[in-house]
Amino acid sequence: MQIFNSGFFWFAEGILFCVMVLGMRAVARDRSIPLTWWKWLAFGVWVLLAGFTVAFVGTSVGEGEPTAAVRGGLMFGFVAIVAAVVLWRVWMIGAPSRTTEKVAES
Amino acid sequence: MSDSDGGNGLDRREFLKISGVASAVVGGTGLGLFGYAAGKDPQTYLGWQNEEGASEIVDHGKYEVDKPTYEKVGPTSRPDARVENIFSRRGRFMRQYRRMQTGAEMEDEVLAAYYEDHPEDLELDRLMMEEIYPKLRADMEKYGEQYLLAVAWSDAMFAVGPDRVDGPPDVADFPRPDRMGRVPEKARMKDPARTSELIKKVAHECGSTLVGIARLNPDWVYKHPLQGRGFENPDDELAIPEHWEFAVVVGTPMSWDPMYANPNYGTSSDAYARSRVIATRVAAFIKALGYPARTHIPGNSYDLMVPPIAIDAGMGEQGRHGVMITPELGCNIRPAVITTSLPMQTDKPIDFGVQDFCRYCKVCAENCPSGAIPFGDKEEVRGYRRYKIDTSKCVNFWNSNLGSMGCRICIAVCPYTRKANWLHKLALKLSANDPTGVSERALTGMHKALYEGPDPQDYYIPSLGGKNASYRKPPWWLRTEDFIDLG
Repeated sequence: MQIFNSGFFWFAEGILFCVMVLGMRAVARDRSIPLTWWKWLAFGVWVLLAGFTVAFVGTSVGEGEPTAAVRGGLMFGFVAIVAAVVLWRVWMIGAPSRTTEKVAES
Repeated sequence: MSDSDGGNGLDRREFLKISGVASAVVGGTGLGLFGYAAGKDPQTYLGWQNEEGASEIVDHGKYEVDKPTYEKVGPTSRPDARVENIFSRRGRFMRQYRRMQTGAEMEDEVLAAYYEDHPEDLELDRLMMEEIYPKLRADMEKYGEQYLLAVAWSDAMFAVGPDRVDGPPDVADFPRPDRMGRVPEKARMKDPARTSELIKKVAHECGSTLVGIARLNPDWVYKHPLQGRGFENPDDELAIPEHWEFAVVVGTPMSWDPMYANPNYGTSSDAYARSRVIATRVAAFIKALGYPARTHIPGNSYDLMVPPIAIDAGMGEQGRHGVMITPELGCNIRPAVITTSLPMQTDKPIDFGVQDFCRYCKVCAENCPSGAIPFGDKEEVRGYRRYKIDTSKCVNFWNSNLGSMGCRICIAVCPYTRKANWLHKLALKLSANDPTGVSERALTGMHKALYEGPDPQDYYIPSLGGKNASYRKPPWWLRTEDFIDLG
């Protein structure tokens, strides 16, 4: 368990985050979504929220607070899912709609 | 690999997309495991894992203020420990009660005068003798065995301790001659600030989790001494000696897991025993430097009220439950004091937002089975505005418990009494640094929604309408039924 207190753990998390960012960039290019700084900011905030939710559940289980884990997981998880939907819509701002793309293709 | 390699395996974009999803899953799992490790980590139970000040994880300097967060609102007076110290009064009452059972009148004039002004306390003191004790005795027969390990743990922790102070201050406080018959002369200390550092270091080396130093406010000294403190007549007024100039406050927490399993599995004895040994050692160190020193230690061997002195010494603030809340340990701290004239630099009091938090929170009041903690505002007590605790109700409840006696539910449920992991440190930072009060309300709401406890009535013994409930399950090593065949 000591590894989770180490600098290596956060280094690895940082690398995984970078790969996530590259993945999102690939998705954006695939769909011709224009990327702006505020879209990346919204993405960062969402990652923090989702990460907090997961870490909160883990911490509560570790502390022997199963009720807090379940309730907190549901509460923050719900907020994270709603935020994910909102984030996706924010990301799609300026992107060509699927119909436009299909018409263009035909 | 190009963005599109014409069907020769995975194209670059697809690879990045899949890698991104995989990274999210692995990273998320990592964060969950990080959280689990942080929640489980015994190192975050401050005060039991290390000494030498390693538990002082909060920079008090950020929260320093010139005045303590309690308010002086009128003429002050010293507490009359004979009747205002609940343990002293209960001792006197029990002696009188036995007399009164034989039909005799109450002969303790001090007590009689107090009850004339506070008839509700007489009623509560009688309730303890006439209803609570008989019912507790009956329930102990039925259910007491289940708490055998909790009682054994408590007894073990209190088995070792220093002798009580055995004389009045002008005798007992001063250094005694060494084996050569020489009385140590006062060491010429170079600098009060360095002396403070030295005394704090020694206190930490002796095992103290937190240490603070204050100039002694006479308002905290009892007007009359408690019995067993070496004074000839406890009814005589206690003249505050000139050498009680400074107060060194030391303190340690109760073991965390049993503390969360209050009221039946926890004990104060562990922290009491540690703090009184530490205070006695620090006093001996000061005396060896040629300066007078006197300990004021648990249980009930004090000439003064300890919590306000600890607050003056910058260790914490007073909460709604009347207990001091520290940034490091919440209210899980049992302090002791050493009064001395050794010149030291004092610490400044701190304000880390407790007063605002307690105004909204009320978790302790909602969970207090005896109703001793007020829901309302502060009141004036001997010239100071503070939350007034009904100590008679409080002690009646903690005298009615199985296990090692006591309650401490207010300590266990307090949002500040949490492990020192990332989650609770984050909450502390938010509440301490948000001047708007928004985070305090949000955190209070979340605490109530997430950390539910039993119904307060369930904490009582069955004969008093309860279910012997505990706030949290006991740790594995206090579950008697797992080790001993219960009849």
